[in-house]
Amino acid sequence: MEEARAFLKEGVLRHLSMLEEESVLLATRQKEALQQQTRVEELRSKLEKLRAQRDQLRAKVKTTVSLQQLTSVVDQENVEPQEESREESLQLFQLKARLTQVKDLLRAHHLIGGYDVVETRRGKGVCFSLATAFEGRYLETYNLEVDLARTIRICRHNVPPFIPLEKLAQQNLQEDIKAFLVTLSQHLNAFAGRQEQVRLVKELLQGSVLVMETNSLYSIVVLMCTVPGQKETEVLLTLEYGDPTQYLPTRVTFESEDKTLLESPQWKESQSLLQQTPVHTALLAWKKERRIC
Amino acid sequence: MDAAAEALLRQTVRRIPSSKLNGVLGRWGCLSEAQLGSLESMQPKWLLCDNLISLCRENDLSMKHVAEVEMLYCIENPKRGMWYAYQMVETDDEAQSLELMHFRERFKAHLKDLIGHVSIKLKRHQDESVWIRIAWGDNFNRPNHLKPTYVMHHLQTPYVFVSGLTNKHKPLLFQALVLAAGYSSIKNAHLNGRCITALRDLLMRQYKQVFPSSCPKPLKESNPLPNPNIENEHAKLVEHKQRAAAEAFGYEDPPKLERATYKLETKYREHGNESLNGRDEPFRGVVKFTSSNLLESLKYCITSGMASTPLTPLLSSITQKGRNYFVIRDKGPSIASDTLGPDH
Repeated sequence: MEEARAFLKEGVLRHLSMLEEESVLLATRQKEALQQQTRVEELRSKLEKLRAQRDQLRAKVKTTVSLQQLTSVVDQENVEPQEESREESLQLFQLKARLTQVKDLLRAHHLIGGYDVVETRRGKGVCFSLATAFEGRYLETYNLEVDLARTIRICRHNVPPFIPLEKLAQQNLQEDIKAFLVTLSQHLNAFAGRQEQVRLVKELLQGSVLVMETNSLYSIVVLMCTVPGQKETEVLLTLEYGDPTQYLPTRVTFESEDKTLLESPQWKESQSLLQQTPVHTALLAWKKERRIC
Repeated sequence: MDAAAEALLRQTVRRIPSSKLNGVLGRWGCLSEAQLGSLESMQPKWLLCDNLISLCRENDLSMKHVAEVEMLYCIENPKRGMWYAYQMVETDDEAQSLELMHFRERFKAHLKDLIGHVSIKLKRHQDESVWIRIAWGDNFNRPNHLKPTYVMHHLQTPYVFVSGLTNKHKPLLFQALVLAAGYSSIKNAHLNGRCITALRDLLMRQYKQVFPSSCPKPLKESNPLPNPNIENEHAKLVEHKQRAAAEAFGYEDPPKLERATYKLETKYREHGNESLNGRDEPFRGVVKFTSSNLLESLKYCITSGMASTPLTPLLSSITQKGRNYFVIRDKGPSIASDTLGPDH
């Protein structure tokens, strides 16, 4: 009311015109809101329509695809009796059966730890994946993408550089890919096995056996352990893996300041033991027998 | 401690950031605990440098020791200029079982046979890589330690990474390397860049690669959309593009390359334009791609749809062949078939 009085002081006409202005503003706002609502409704109905259209199109695509399949099957069935050489179709079926058989075999092979094969680039290439394992434990998986377009060619892989992949490929990639994969898998498995043994020595014999030196291929491993006694003597074990496809060493040498210790029959025997058992199991057994600290 | 050693020490200290300096000096092992303590938190750097030099005099250290501290820092922070990759070829079986001691002795002996005044340091880093620092001299000058050549090599692999090598010393280094590692020759791998780990990962295939497999794992946890009613109509396409990009250039962080260079040599062919057709010389052109992370950029080209899949071998060769320099020659007069040929 006070406001009104203030306005009255200024004049009634002015107050009225102000009221009018406000009412006009309100009216336009209402109009706008109404328009917006109708627009939203329009869009909504459009969306519904589009959705319905999409579903229709999808259904159409589905039916055409299934129809095509059906017709192709029917065509084949129709054509077959007309063909003079029934033998050819028989051969085709045999080949198809053989293909499924081979695929199943491959799958089984992969399941028991063999390599897996995947077709790539619409049949122009294949990708082999070779899993490695040691003592029943899966380790790294290596892959090899091969181009089959003209000659067999390795185009991409993640095989470590110190595995002589090129040399193996030269030997029998073109003639006998199966043999190539077998040797490559042997190399990779042996490498993974040697690496795992060193890892296990580090983990299980922490504090008693020191890994002094290894190379990237793990073909030479130097370990140091301590033999208890009146005077503790340190023994250096050098394991040389001469055969890159084996996870057991081909040569084992011991070095120590105490020459008489190494002359003992026990140590001579252990030389051959290390060539027959994985190094971590041998060392763990020694630790249990208190032959090493 | 002579002037040359002092100059090298000053240069090295200038290069090392203050935050890392104490750590490096500690690992160096030429100063006692008390001496290290006295240097700690000494500012500004020139003061520290002066003190360090006097301490080195006290300990009777020589160029040999100073070179060691420079090498130590370089191995840990190998970002000094361009690195070039080379590949040794035709190995004998011996290379597969080469030992560091053996390699060190042979390399030093061979290089010293070739050139009299040379200072060689060889060190093995934690990641099994062997680092060689060579300061070259000649008949009249002592080895220049201010501009050493650095070589990084992994034993049992054919790859060598070199930085700071002049053309004059190239044949000497290569001969010594090839003889010491048991190969018969060495060739340019046509790969260079500032980040040595990227070059190594690319050539030794140690970066995260994605291969096609029968049961492909999802590349990324697809972030759940806020509205379950909204469905991405192109989800399959996006997934396909991402997979193609990852298969071409690696998953997550691809190796950091800065550039790729393509040299083109093509011939002009059009009927009725004899002046251009008859040229013996091909038209030469160079296409360079540069980026702070080239492979990441190329990956984005695929995922965003700028490059079509399957990708042209011109681009996928960068990772497949592990090189970033290509010469593309127009072979034969009939069809303009561009082939990726090796450069001579």
